[in-house]
Amino acid sequence: MQAVLFGLLVGGVYALASSGLTLIFGVMRIVNLTHGALLIAGAFLTYTICAATGVDPFATIPVVGAVLFGLGWLIHRLVVQRAEHGGEGTVILSTLALAMILEGVIILIWGHEPHSVATSYARSSFRIGDLVFPAAQVYGSACALVLLAALHTLLNRTWLGRAVRAATANPQGAELVGIRVERINVAAFALGAALTGAAGSILAVLSPFTPDSGDQWIGLGLAIVVLGGMGSLGGALVGALALGVIETLTATYGSPAWATAMPFAVIVLTLLLRPQGIFGVRVREDVVSA
Amino acid sequence: MTIDRRSFLIGASLLPLVTACGASGSSSSSTAAPLKIGASLPLTGPAADVADPGYKGYQVWQSQINARGGLLGRKVEFVILDDGFDQNTVVSNYNRLISQDRVDLLIGTFSSFLNLPASTVADRNRMLYIEPSGGAADIFSRGHTRLFFSQPGTTDTAHRPFAGYVEGLKERPATAAYLHQDDPSTDVPVQNLRKTFEGLGIKTVYGQKYPPDTKNFDAIANAIRQADPALVVHGALELDGAAVVQAMQRVGFTPPILYQTRAPSSVNTYPKAIGATNTEAIFTAGSWHPAAKYPGNAEFVADYRKQFSQEPSEDAANSYTAVQVLQAGVQAVGKLDQDAIAAWLHANQVDTIVGPLKWDKRGVPDGSLLLMQWQGGKLEVVAPASAATVPSAIAAKPNWAT
Repeated sequence: MQAVLFGLLVGGVYALASSGLTLIFGVMRIVNLTHGALLIAGAFLTYTICAATGVDPFATIPVVGAVLFGLGWLIHRLVVQRAEHGGEGTVILSTLALAMILEGVIILIWGHEPHSVATSYARSSFRIGDLVFPAAQVYGSACALVLLAALHTLLNRTWLGRAVRAATANPQGAELVGIRVERINVAAFALGAALTGAAGSILAVLSPFTPDSGDQWIGLGLAIVVLGGMGSLGGALVGALALGVIETLTATYGSPAWATAMPFAVIVLTLLLRPQGIFGVRVREDVVSA
Repeated sequence: MTIDRRSFLIGASLLPLVTACGASGSSSSSTAAPLKIGASLPLTGPAADVADPGYKGYQVWQSQINARGGLLGRKVEFVILDDGFDQNTVVSNYNRLISQDRVDLLIGTFSSFLNLPASTVADRNRMLYIEPSGGAADIFSRGHTRLFFSQPGTTDTAHRPFAGYVEGLKERPATAAYLHQDDPSTDVPVQNLRKTFEGLGIKTVYGQKYPPDTKNFDAIANAIRQADPALVVHGALELDGAAVVQAMQRVGFTPPILYQTRAPSSVNTYPKAIGATNTEAIFTAGSWHPAAKYPGNAEFVADYRKQFSQEPSEDAANSYTAVQVLQAGVQAVGKLDQDAIAAWLHANQVDTIVGPLKWDKRGVPDGSLLLMQWQGGKLEVVAPASAATVPSAIAAKPNWAT
């Protein structure tokens, strides 16, 4: 039971960390390889704000999200939009190159050394019966779920959300009803970057990080996106929780040596057994793209 | 929604790509030109936090030697390339340093992972290779005669200081847990400690390894908590050392005795990550201490602080030691004859900031690492007695402070 609890808590954070990747893939059909660098940029921004002001790291999320939203907007305008003419491969290669540049910039600003964001609750826990609840994990997961709920509301209750969903389901059809798909793409990319930055703020509380720590999150993010159903936010949440539990159970009852291989096993198994993921739907491409 | 596997396949296939960038020098050496020393360092990638202070150690020595007129009367210039912690890149970098940049001397890089292939390039080109880190046994078993390790102990002997301490306890711990990152520099010391302690009758209640990309240690810490060992031995490299301690703090388990490799030596970052008071009584093994009375050590510490406005780490000291050894050999021989320098180093002892070093025919030093422990917010030497900076070790670790 304790292992499942740890898995669910870490899965909540995984869900937020992968939501930006899911959103961007869902709308634009591209794998954003700057994802890890944006995540760590969010963590470093949180570190700097906390060190300068002494505020709680979770309180930095609006500022970090706003900065990352702007950065995402710039990345789309200056790189992704121009690379799109070369096709999906060019976009992916461009985001890979940009990820390296971002990592270099992070090194120039913050250096190579590991950084940590210290809080009064980062090392504490509370107990209910025999179950241990690490405070930072509980707050981090709760914060992640609130942000995901806000994103869900945005996508389902606002015009922007309807436009995003329309552009996701059928870009040509969306254009026909007056939706500027290109603008939606920019908004989705920037929003995805903001969510990723917010996840970085939470991760900064949970463990030490270095400029290259983001690399570890790309494979995990892809696994969650594939498992959940590519582009499905609900699926990403379920997929993240499932992966968190699978990883934790593997580390507890199997071996930690296998735990980090689980995301990749999940990618392979999902593509073989249910390519559309848990919440994905098979759609006739001839109809969609007509 | 359609599933676009092509995008994912392209994305996934690009994940392992690692690149490197570098600087170069171009002119060939002459007697009037600066004396060029080449190295490839993992200035980006997962070992960048180790290589950065290592590079600074080289830079401190460079400032000192040039202020004294240089080496063999020539100003010293470093040609440093970045390999991104990639074995293929480190090989091409050392080839480039030799054939294109035409450096006069080579110096080693960081980690056994990189030094293993890099030292092979040096050996094929009949170049001297002094490595500041990378003490895995495999490196010294290939018959290289120009290879020297500039720390007092290797991975094979790294367990001895702590093993000796536990062996000497009147009341030894009854149970122990062993955890280590899957890396040759952590695997061997932890396995050696386990073998030694099991021989002493200390029962193993937990034993696992984890891959370098492990992000979440809560489940591992909880499993250790449930095993309730009296001693935890953790083979850590850097980030994972602090992350495991943080996870143990979160699950509310304080091991009565905690020994970690490497990570506690990061005096600038480790206390910040786990809480300064929580470092108390954590053991590690190390090669160097800032207060050691060895010749040149005080000067190194002062110059490092002055040049970089921070405390020197063990990695910085190790790279400084490597160039001290190189300097001693070159000055003794009086010319850049790689074989003659290697022969001199095999035959003589060199005084360094980690103490006097002397090597066997494999390039393995005949010394041992120091047993160190955090006490009162400082990393102190507790054994051997001749190098101790505090009277005794703290036997039991206080509970974590939140």
